[in-house]
Amino acid sequence: MKQVGLFLGCNIPFNRPDIEYSARYILKELGVDAVDLEGASCCPAFGTMPSLDIEGWAAASAWNLVLADEKGIDLVTGCGSCYGSLNEAKHHMESHPELKEKVNQIYAKVGKEYKGTAKISNFINFLYESVGLENIKAKVKNNLNGLKCAVQTGCHNLWPSRAYPSNEDNTFYPKRMREICEALGGAAPHYSAITDCCGMGALRSNASDKSLALFKKKLDVIKEELDPDICVIGCSSCLLQFDGGQALLAEQKKLNYQIPALHLVQLTALALGADVDKVAAFAKIPLNGVINKIKGGN
Amino acid sequence: MEESSVNVINLNQCDEEFIKELEKFGAEELKECIQCGKCASTCPMALAGLDFYIKRIIHAATLGLKDVLLEDSSVWGCQSCNRCVEICPMDVKPYEVIQAVRRAAVRVESCPANTYEGLRNLYKNGHAVFPKGFEERRKKVGLPEKPPTLVSHEELRKKFQEVLKQTSLADVAPFKLD
Repeated sequence: MKQVGLFLGCNIPFNRPDIEYSARYILKELGVDAVDLEGASCCPAFGTMPSLDIEGWAAASAWNLVLADEKGIDLVTGCGSCYGSLNEAKHHMESHPELKEKVNQIYAKVGKEYKGTAKISNFINFLYESVGLENIKAKVKNNLNGLKCAVQTGCHNLWPSRAYPSNEDNTFYPKRMREICEALGGAAPHYSAITDCCGMGALRSNASDKSLALFKKKLDVIKEELDPDICVIGCSSCLLQFDGGQALLAEQKKLNYQIPALHLVQLTALALGADVDKVAAFAKIPLNGVINKIKGGN
Repeated sequence: MEESSVNVINLNQCDEEFIKELEKFGAEELKECIQCGKCASTCPMALAGLDFYIKRIIHAATLGLKDVLLEDSSVWGCQSCNRCVEICPMDVKPYEVIQAVRRAAVRVESCPANTYEGLRNLYKNGHAVFPKGFEERRKKVGLPEKPPTLVSHEELRKKFQEVLKQTSLADVAPFKLD
């Protein structure tokens, strides 16, 4: 059986465990053994160790990479920030051997060694490459029945491309999530703001109103160009903005429509037959229309 | 930085040591910048309307305007999205410049309070984001109350803290690493 280390991060296990539930569900359905990374930490988030210095960033990321090295497995994560932070730290260590050496001097003191053998994937690339579209199609129990999806890959899942082991052919014209949604039976057209930032992250923490206004600009383009049934998101941070941010904008009377939003693994879990009450347990925007459509309605 | 002010740059304010400090903190290609503005065309900070955004930050950095950079909190609104790194024609890696400014800023305690909150959570719990009530949320979807991360492994958490104590966190944290 194929194995992969499930890297949880922070937002998924603590804020949106329905994404963790969905990730575990789809890996099982797809015949992949999800190995728990016992004692994993935060990636670390960009506003923490990466903002102190590169060495501290690399040392903190290496904690997780060492856990994967020890088990001889690769990692997969549903969080774009984790994907970015871990891969960038690894990239820094690969391109600066003296940095790797410094990190290993630290790890020698706790009886560990960073080798750098583990690859870090996200669920987009894992589903697209390691599982494959045909294998996904073969496992679909609830065909999405033409459900119109507006996809959001998320910036950290695309850039900096030099740090990533696998990526879109053109990172400014992403297609992989669209193809996955189509494999599940959905329709996922391109739209002009597909790579625009959702505004979540440091911007939301430090300039909330401007972050939400930026998000609304993107949302308005999605509504106007696609008028989709659902937004499908490749990053857990973006999902917090697409789901919670929309609810907040509606509450502030700044939005007169709401589009349901799910993480890619949640939508995949629905198509693979998981229980909607668990898959979307913490979704703020009701999914009634989505479920109705999957069940054969219009 | 005031929105309406006319920005006449006083070159007497240039601090060459500060430029060296930024280079040491990762802004290695800073001097390659030609101020073409491609980074600003794609930067979420600029598009969201922050006055002091990537191109202007780099400009101030190339001139060594230490006070201007350390007094403004815009760098902390950077999304770390790396669009600028992707499209910069001079390979300045503008995001690395932002990080370098942050790294200089934390050393003079010029950062938002939530930076320390994240660092404290990371050190104490192994997670920078550590919201209350997660046990109930996890139970609702049939998962164990605690994830199999450092929150479930005290011995490993101590080891992780030993690692962090060997880093610059020990110098800049405004809390005790015990």
